[in-house]
Amino acid sequence: MPVRGSREGAYLDEQTLLAAGAPPPGSFEGNGRGSHLLGGQRAAAVSTVSTVVFIGAVIALFVFAPGAAAVRHTFFNPQQMKQAFLGDPSKGLYSVGKGLILNIEMFLIAEVLILFCALVIAVLRQLRNPVLFPFRMLAVVYTDVFRGVPLIIVIYGIGFGAPALYIRGISTQSDFVYGIAALVLSYSAYVAEVYRAGINSVHQSQVAAARSLGLSQWKSLRFVVLPQAVRTVIPPLLNDFISLQKDTALVSTLGAVIEANRAAQIDSSTLFVYSSYTVAALLFLCLTIPLARFTDRLIARDVSRRLAGGRAVR
Amino acid sequence: MRKSLVLVMFAMIGLGLTAVGSSASPVPSTKAASAVLTAKASSCSYAAIAPHLYKVGVLTVATDSPAYEPWFDNNTPSNGKGYESAVAYAVGKQLGFSKSQVKWTVEPFDASFAPGPKKFDFDVNEISYTPERATVVSFSVSYYDVQQALIALKNSRIVKHHTPADLRTYVYGDQIGSTSLAFINTELRPTHQPSVFNTLNDAKSALQDGRIQALVADTPTAQYISSSEIPKSVLVGQFPSTGEHYGLLFAKNDPLVACVNKAIAALKVNGSLAKFQKEYLGIYTSVPTIKP
Amino acid sequence: MSEPDVTPDLGGAQLGDTAQLVDAAKLDDGAQNGDPAFASQEAVRLEDVHKSFGDLEVLRGIDLSVAPHQVICLIGASGSGKSTLLRCVNLLESVNRGRILLWGQDVTAPGVDENAVRRHIGIVFQSFNLFPHMTVLRNITLGPTRVLGVPRDEAEEAGRALLVRFGLSEKQDDYPDRLSGGQQQRVAIVRALAMQPGIMLLDEVTSALDPELVSEVLGVIRELAAAGMTMLIATHEMGFARDIADRVCFLDEGVILEQGPPGQVFTAPGNSRTQQFLRRIVDAGRL
Repeated sequence: MPVRGSREGAYLDEQTLLAAGAPPPGSFEGNGRGSHLLGGQRAAAVSTVSTVVFIGAVIALFVFAPGAAAVRHTFFNPQQMKQAFLGDPSKGLYSVGKGLILNIEMFLIAEVLILFCALVIAVLRQLRNPVLFPFRMLAVVYTDVFRGVPLIIVIYGIGFGAPALYIRGISTQSDFVYGIAALVLSYSAYVAEVYRAGINSVHQSQVAAARSLGLSQWKSLRFVVLPQAVRTVIPPLLNDFISLQKDTALVSTLGAVIEANRAAQIDSSTLFVYSSYTVAALLFLCLTIPLARFTDRLIARDVSRRLAGGRAVR
Repeated sequence: MRKSLVLVMFAMIGLGLTAVGSSASPVPSTKAASAVLTAKASSCSYAAIAPHLYKVGVLTVATDSPAYEPWFDNNTPSNGKGYESAVAYAVGKQLGFSKSQVKWTVEPFDASFAPGPKKFDFDVNEISYTPERATVVSFSVSYYDVQQALIALKNSRIVKHHTPADLRTYVYGDQIGSTSLAFINTELRPTHQPSVFNTLNDAKSALQDGRIQALVADTPTAQYISSSEIPKSVLVGQFPSTGEHYGLLFAKNDPLVACVNKAIAALKVNGSLAKFQKEYLGIYTSVPTIKP
Repeated sequence: MSEPDVTPDLGGAQLGDTAQLVDAAKLDDGAQNGDPAFASQEAVRLEDVHKSFGDLEVLRGIDLSVAPHQVICLIGASGSGKSTLLRCVNLLESVNRGRILLWGQDVTAPGVDENAVRRHIGIVFQSFNLFPHMTVLRNITLGPTRVLGVPRDEAEEAGRALLVRFGLSEKQDDYPDRLSGGQQQRVAIVRALAMQPGIMLLDEVTSALDPELVSEVLGVIRELAAAGMTMLIATHEMGFARDIADRVCFLDEGVILEQGPPGQVFTAPGNSRTQQFLRRIVDAGRL
């Protein structure tokens, strides 16, 4: 296509844009190199200034706003933040820090179970053996239902429903167990779909190569498809687990699990300040930010591998 | 280059500050900017308090939803029935508001103590006064002196065995934000950590399903639960007063507090509060007292 | 999960024996003849094979017979059905009509265990299809260990021997994407050979390669032919086909229009379509 005058905007094509100094399509933030992202020294200076101004304005807002003192007292009261972190039984205050241990426990246990259950569901949906049809159907219904129902309702349903049934062994579990069961039920549906996307992203020619060696459908899946699929879905999986970490807080609605968020709620309503929530938020960030950065790194590695034409160093 | 950029930056911060400063005047509504007037509030005529109202011409009263019995009736604060609804209308009347000039608004308990302008004149929601809470909001004088009471299922061991030592052995549960929870933790000191529920209704269902063995609530609420809501349950007894009382909740240093306090005092003197208590809360002379 | 070795109507013993026809040892001696019991039989026989994808009929009645140790080259334009034919033999595609016999056994009959059939047929694809998450050695030992149940160290020993045989021993611990195309394709051939197949199907194995890498792969195939491997080769390399083939089949629009010894097909093609095709090849400088 010929490059026409720049006034004829409708005829601007990629080459015109390139000539005009615009980055080629898809190049924005593409390779994550700092200089490219900021576009040279001048841009770096501008971005520094705008960052400083922005932060300055935010700080100014907190310092000089008419209600700033009240906000600081309510949200950022160091004395009360310390109290909320450690707890004070004599005043009926719970420890947010101790609560966080419960969050971490629930997260770790649920994560292992989710990784396993979701894989089973994803594989069930993939196998074409007619004998497995009922299971395949069950897996489809399961993922549809539990992706659709809000987690909080699943937690309520299990935590309040199971004990009301008076079934031996099921109705006498702790809220901790019910909560994890609900997290696993809900998240396995999501994660199964992530796995399935990963499985579908493995090229059919890989399956053909595996089957041509005489590997059964199951063995092809097990040794050839799944290992590749899992590798592809690690970043999205980690993303799901970041939200799982936060969602462990919902289990507290069952009552007996006083995790970080619930401890903060109690402290807040006892003292009428929100500093305990600030503590909980900071603690959750301490958990999720490292995981988020780790995810970013994996994604960046994946991108660079693809940019290198699939010949990256392992 | 750098230098000029830094100058620009400071100029921009300056602009930002000016912006904050200029927006400052409208933010504190008629409610907050009037500490000066508090001294003059000795006159509590309708005309005197009118400038301090959240909305012109009406008394805006807040409570949470659901509003529990017997404090309210049928989750409808505006029907004038239930102890707190009756008190709110009586206070309004003392201040010169007709029944139609009292407007109700829903305010979740958690939000009632948030910083920033309040969306009500006062909140009436079984909120206990504590010195810590009073650093953030203002309370009226007591409109009800609270005692905590113990509810359990009729067949529970706790009905017969509730010495202070026994009381430590049970699994308790309560609604979040209630002083009853603090009472359990500081006075009963159970060995098993009490469950904490989003709502009183969740706590009740936990009691019915045996997930908790006992529930602590103020005596009127406990009475209502055991008599009307959970037939299998019984009010085991009430604990001696700890001096706890319910107060109406206001924005910190709200000039209205002084006038409302006067109104409550008048209602005490003329017997209205006692009458409402008799009418809506029943008479609890028969409730046995147990020691924590 | 274990499947029966072979289904009853597909004589397991026979296939097992034929699989021995070409093993590593025989490749080494270059033995020309296998078990006399099968020497007279056909290794592969296609009878009136039809295959459609939706409305598109790709194979329209293929009859083909391949004797043991024979090398057959399938030539023809892209889309003439060469690849599909090979995939049908390997049961990667099911035929719509007709039947395919391997050493006299109908492998298209219902109830045939396709996994059992496939372990006796090696196939090499145009795009290599190595497993990118496994090292070269692991690519090669996957089939023997997981399908044939060979102990891992034995399989690795055999695999290493094959790699040495084909000049790839230094690459055994590399991942496929570190290898050149030619090396990858040679590994793919070794991967197929590691299963000790009775027949090899080669599907345009040099088409994806840079020109300078073609010869190393062709060299390997020549070696296999010299060792007596029965092969069905779909190829665009006419010079190679002329050298190596016992018989050349020209496919056009899903049928074999002409077949015969390479000398005959390439120098005196009887069919006008074959002439046309070959002329285009010559014009392109490929023959």
